[in-house]
Amino acid sequence: MKQISVFVENQPGSLMRVTSALNEARINIRAIASFDTPEFGILRLVVEQPEKAKEFLTEKGFVVRVQEVVGAELKDEKGNLNEMLKVLADQGISVGYIYSFVIRENKAPVMVFHSDDNVKAEAALKEAGILLIKDDEL
Amino acid sequence: MIWAKEETLPRAEIEKIQLEKLKKTVAYIYEKVLPYRKKMDAAGVKPEEIRTLEDLKRLPFTYKSDFRDNYPDGLFAVEKKELVRYHASSGTTGKPTVVGYTRNDLDMWLNNVARIACMGGATSEDVAQISFGYGTFTGALGLHGGLEKLGASVIPMSSGNTNKQIMFLQDMGVTLLVATPSYALHLGEQLRERGIDPKKDLKLHIGLFGGEGMTEPMRDEMHKVWGEQFVCTQNYGMSELCGPGVSGECTELCGMHVNEDWFIPEIIDPKTEEVLPPGAHGELVVTCLGKEALPLVRYRTGDLTKLMYEPCKCGRTTCRMENISGRADDMLVIRGVNVFPTQIEEVLLKIAEIGPHYEILVERKNRLDVMTITVELIDDRLLDSYGQLSELEQRIKAALKAQLGLATQIKLVAPNSLQRFEGKAKRVTDLRKDGL
Repeated sequence: MKQISVFVENQPGSLMRVTSALNEARINIRAIASFDTPEFGILRLVVEQPEKAKEFLTEKGFVVRVQEVVGAELKDEKGNLNEMLKVLADQGISVGYIYSFVIRENKAPVMVFHSDDNVKAEAALKEAGILLIKDDEL
Repeated sequence: MIWAKEETLPRAEIEKIQLEKLKKTVAYIYEKVLPYRKKMDAAGVKPEEIRTLEDLKRLPFTYKSDFRDNYPDGLFAVEKKELVRYHASSGTTGKPTVVGYTRNDLDMWLNNVARIACMGGATSEDVAQISFGYGTFTGALGLHGGLEKLGASVIPMSSGNTNKQIMFLQDMGVTLLVATPSYALHLGEQLRERGIDPKKDLKLHIGLFGGEGMTEPMRDEMHKVWGEQFVCTQNYGMSELCGPGVSGECTELCGMHVNEDWFIPEIIDPKTEEVLPPGAHGELVVTCLGKEALPLVRYRTGDLTKLMYEPCKCGRTTCRMENISGRADDMLVIRGVNVFPTQIEEVLLKIAEIGPHYEILVERKNRLDVMTITVELIDDRLLDSYGQLSELEQRIKAALKAQLGLATQIKLVAPNSLQRFEGKAKRVTDLRKDGL
């Protein structure tokens, strides 16, 4: 699946300017993550219509990157996240960052992550019986 | 003490020496330096037409850009084998301003520095710690050689490494410090933080400051940090003219005495280029007298000041220049290093991931200059990871360090977030007030 990364400065309102632009473009946000870093940050989002989101945000003056990430559906049960991470660890796959979906109505939670080898990660998770999510399954 | 008899001559005698040397210098530069001969020909002036000091104003100016246009040594008047030393300072773009010295030039230069050191109270008894950065910068080796000529013992400490600086100040019984005034303040505060009282615990009593201007509020701070006994003077020079040794303050602290038997100062209106009368404020223009390797006539220093010809209580009759009040161009002095925004621009334009717009912010933190350059990120490919963004930051910093010889802070911002200018851009904000 795809995520968009948006360059944001560390200042009040900078995240809001991104969400407000997406709101204006009527694009739904499915997941969002940012971390405390000095000076600037990368805001990562899973949205509906990532290409359209990029186009719209770029027009508004943002620097935006569309990137492949892995989306894995987990049953909301004890130990499932641990199990997924173990699969990756066993394969020697390094996770760069991980975040989860905000709202998925009645569906199971989805973890979004980027690793040093997404293809290998997807194969390993499939092998372990973990359901992978595609963009159109959001 | 006064080092040379030329510092106390009656005005008429100083002018007699100046005129005699000026005639020789003009004839010499006309014969040996093609770019300047062309300028004189274009202006329709022949060397033999220089008959009085008044005729000086008929001669064309020399600009910093002449060094760039004739890089590296097209303005030199002697063969390479005559040179014994090169120095270099910032150019307005990628190439430095290169200067050269014959053995006689070095001798003249260091004698002039000895005069300046003497004006500031230095004697052969002093133990001098040079805390300027060495390298091609003229400040460190200039003061180094001048103080040796005076008979002082010199410690070539170089800049940075505050702990080592403090150890030498204490253990070697240092009596004289050579530094930029802002570094001297920083060092003094570091001493106090370590519980050392400079007045009681050190022998230091003289500061010879240069590389950047020292304002009166900075001098007051200097006394607060180093004690009232600390005699701090500043001196002036630039590598094109020789380095330090052009002028310096005596302990009366009423302006910097110009070594007028070697340098003829003029003040001009930088816009109209008209020569202004004594006491008027404007751009300093200097003609070097008797230099062999790099004779310079009417060099536009870009520094704003005024000249005072009234005799000084110290006994010197040479004219004095006031503290430099600013620049006629956009040059910045950062930690004693001259920086032209065009140098920064040249570096930034070569980096594809950022846009062409930039802003420069200069502040003084803990007494030291901090320069922050804000640039716009335009390449979305770097958003794959923080690592790539921080690699870009490091790459910009390294390129600037290589160009300027200075560490800078980089701030990445989103595209179109910097102000756009129509006409002349105001890209530099200098928050330093009175040098504090």
